[in-house]
Parts: sequence; structure tokens; C-alpha cells
Amino acid sequence: MIRPELICPAGTPAALKSAVDAGADCVYVGFRDETNARNFPGLNFSRKELEDGIAYAHARGAKVLVAINTFPRAGHPGLWQGAVDDSARLGADAVILADIGLIDYAARTHPDLRLHLSVQAAASNPQAIGFYAERFGVKRVVLPRVLTVPEIAAINQAVAPVETEVFVFGGLCVMAEGRCALSSYATGQSPNMNGVCSPASHVRYVESGKGITSQLAGFTINQFGLNEPAGYPTLCKGRFNANGKTSYLFEEPTSLNTLAMLPDLIKAGVAAFKIEGRQRGRAYVAAVVQAFRQGVDAVMAGQPLPDINLDSITEGGRQTTGAYEKAWR
Amino acid sequence: MMEGPNRAGQTKPMIPPFSPVLLLGLALRPVRPALLQPVFDHMLKVVRTQHPDILERLEAYGERSVCIDPIDLPFALILEPDPANPRLTVRRFVDTDEVHATIRGPLETLIALAEGRMDGDALFFSRQLVVEGDTEVVVALRNAIDGAGIDLVADLTAALGPLAQPARRAAGAVLDLVSSLRGSVETVRQSFIAPALQGAASRDARLAELEAEVKALRKASRRGGMA
Repeated sequence: MIRPELICPAGTPAALKSAVDAGADCVYVGFRDETNARNFPGLNFSRKELEDGIAYAHARGAKVLVAINTFPRAGHPGLWQGAVDDSARLGADAVILADIGLIDYAARTHPDLRLHLSVQAAASNPQAIGFYAERFGVKRVVLPRVLTVPEIAAINQAVAPVETEVFVFGGLCVMAEGRCALSSYATGQSPNMNGVCSPASHVRYVESGKGITSQLAGFTINQFGLNEPAGYPTLCKGRFNANGKTSYLFEEPTSLNTLAMLPDLIKAGVAAFKIEGRQRGRAYVAAVVQAFRQGVDAVMAGQPLPDINLDSITEGGRQTTGAYEKAWR
Repeated sequence: MMEGPNRAGQTKPMIPPFSPVLLLGLALRPVRPALLQPVFDHMLKVVRTQHPDILERLEAYGERSVCIDPIDLPFALILEPDPANPRLTVRRFVDTDEVHATIRGPLETLIALAEGRMDGDALFFSRQLVVEGDTEVVVALRNAIDGAGIDLVADLTAALGPLAQPARRAAGAVLDLVSSLRGSVETVRQSFIAPALQGAASRDARLAELEAEVKALRKASRRGGMA
């Protein structure tokens, strides 16, 4: 049985320390620019902060992965190539890439740099994964959050020794990642090109006596009652009127939580468990990493899973196992 | 949107929890905000010295002002994060259209957020925190502060040299006192609201009876119609 690595998010140096201290095997981060899919205000790392963060993690036996997982602007690959160069120079343990041209650049320029394929590349079958592995030497692929556990197991059997990484906690993205244009449609900016889904600059919350209304670029996304738990203001999680009925058309505000499924995912041969949430605070990082550290350690030791309640940090106050179980099919 | 601007510090759009802080707020009502200004000047100076990375992360938002509104205190703060000349001004009232954004919540929640003990998104999801206006500058502020690793007591006492340790112990004693008061305050709160809760329970029971009666009547009516 493979002992999966726990891959934990960090949007700031303080969050990186929280993740490492809480038991992360790896921490994934991004630079403070549009080269990564969490290009949020006040978030991410300068080169110096990354250097210090890598030193902190390595001194404690943890690795640092750098997400450079947006698609370069046509004709302007310099910013993205520079991010790859700096990651290699500063001693990152791997880079997480999505754009095929950037992967080619990294493989040619830094042959010793370990390459992971971002979920943004949306590689969801053995043929696509095999192509990235054979052509560029990609060692690990982050799988989209739309596959069942048996589908993941089948992919693992087909692509070995290429490793797979799956999301185990956090925000859900049910679209074909890297290809979703909902945010772009509403705001002109997308996670794929600008690193922002539903950018904060386009979000407004309007309070009234009846509750709160969330708006994105002038579109009403949702209305939450006075005490109703709220969610992110993304179009995919909007509650809309259609055919005379008000409902969530794509996805409800809820967080993925697979703590109870860890034995199944380990049995399926997954090499790494990814916790979503570089935009979340240190308190979230510490709580989730501790929970999954205990979970993975318990499974590996043949002990029962710990009963840990993560309700208080979930979106909408709700949790789901998402597509891994696909109860709706 | 609420009619007219919300006035932070005066008519709070959120109902504050009944807590020791709320009682402190009532005690502070007669105090002129200008008398509190030196405290916040010192706080800003300390944070600026010990966590310069906060203003660095906020560089792009230096000209945007944020009202920080502790709903259980009779005043609010305006933060202007200009890296060259940051200001933290205490005011009795702040109209939300005077500032670019407002972040509102109980004082203890705001402090826990500043110290990274609570996650900002989780507080928003659970409606313990309200954000209005320019969401971008609020997100930037939240991220910058969360990333700084602030410990308010340790930071504010650090400059006291040999007195830092006794000052921390004193602050710890005050926090312990507040914590122990919380139980007593909760008892008082329960005592106050007990009649209202009993009334609500009685109304709920009566409502349930009426609903059952209506249901039974509808059923009987349908049977009559079919017959």
C-alpha cells in the first residue's frame, strides 16, 4: 500500500508554517502574480518569501511545490517562464504546470526539475496522462474532481508509474477545470488566464433586513436569509430562477470532505492527497491539515479513522464526497 | 440595500452578542473617541514596526479606506493603509459611504481574525462577519493580516523591554477575567430571555396545533369533495 503524501495549501508564509507544523508532507504555493490560479489580493509569495519558506519546510522534512498553473498570455510567456526559472533556482521540489508550452519549456530548460500536471490541464484519461508523461517526463497528475473512485483506480492501473493526486478537502469545482468560462463571461477575468475565479474586485455584498445578496459584476448570484450559511459568489454556485423554480443549477455551496473515504482512495492507488484552499486563512490550514494528517496516519497504521468535525470551516456549513461517490448517477 | 448609509458605531446593522465586551462597550459610551485615539496610534505604530509586510501586501490598495466596525463597541475605526502614511482613526460614527469598504463583527471575532485564530471565509460563511463595499480591499486586508502572524498582546507589549513580561502576565489575567465573566454574562442573558423563550415555545406549540387542525380539515374537505 502506497503511503500518500499530504499536499497542503499556503497563501502566505505564515500559512506555510502552519501547514508544515500541522504535519504537511508538501506545501503548494504561488507567486504574487497572475501565474497561478489563486491570484487574489494580498495573497501569495514574493521570491524572498518563497526562498525562506522552502528553507523552513526543508528543515522540517517537508517539500514545497510551486503552482504556475495559468495559461500564458499569447505572445508574452516571459512572466510564466521566469516563474519556472525562479522556482528551480530557489530549490522548489516540483512545479505544478498546466500549459503545454510551459511544460515543454520547463522540461527542456530544467531537466532535473520535477514536473506535476495541474488539474487546470484537465487530463482525465490514461491517453492524455500518458502523453504528458512520455513527452515531457511529467511525474504526477492532479486529477479533476469529476471522477469516481473506481475510475481513479482504473486510471492508476493504466498510467503507473505516473502518480496521481486527488483533492480530498475544500472548495469544489465541478466544471472542466482550465476550460471553464463562467467567471470570464461575467467579469472578463478567469482562473485560467488571470488566476482569479469571480475576482473580489467584481464582488459586492449587499445587506438588507432580509439577509444578504451577493453580486458578481452586477449579476445577482445568490440571496441568503438572515441566518442562512453563505457561500462563495461564483456563478457555478449561484441560486437562480429557472422554469419558475429557484434553485442551485450547477452546484450548491458545500465543501468536499473525503476524510471517511481515505481508505478507498488509498486502496485505489492514489499517491497524494491535496487540500484545496490557498485563499483560506491559517486557522483553516491548521485545522484541515491536522485532521487529514491524523486520518492518513490512522489508515496506514490499520486503525479506525478519527471522528473529526470540520463543519465550522466548510462553505455553506455543508460537506459532500462529491463525484467520488456520484450518488446522482 | 438598507435605506441610507449604515452608520458604523451608532445603529449597528448586526445584533451584537451579549458578552463582556458588550458590557465594556456600554461603559465606554461616555468616553470621547479622541481620548482613545492615542491607543490606536500606538497600536498602528507597533504593528507597522513589527509587521511591515502587512502594508507591503496592501501597497496597491493604499488609497482605499476600510471601516472596521466592532458591533459591540460604541465606536468604529477607519484604516487608511497608505504605506507612506498609514492611519487608524477612531470615530463615534462612520457613514459607510465615507469609506471604500466596511468589515463588521463582534470585537472578539475581529481580534481572532486579526490573529489568525479564525478563518475569514468561515466567519463569512457562518455570517459572523459582514463585508460591505469594495470587497477587493477587504480580501487584501484579510490576507495581509492573516499572513503576518499577529499576536496582539505580544506585539503591543514587546516594546516595553523589561516590563514586557509583567505586562503580558497582566494582559493574560485580564483575558482570563473576561473569559470567566463570559459564563456569568451568559447566565444573565438566559435569565433575561427566558420569558421570551417560554412565550415563543408556547406560540410554536399553538402553531403546531393549528397546522394539524388545518391539515385534518383539508383532508376531510378532500374526502367530502370526492364523495
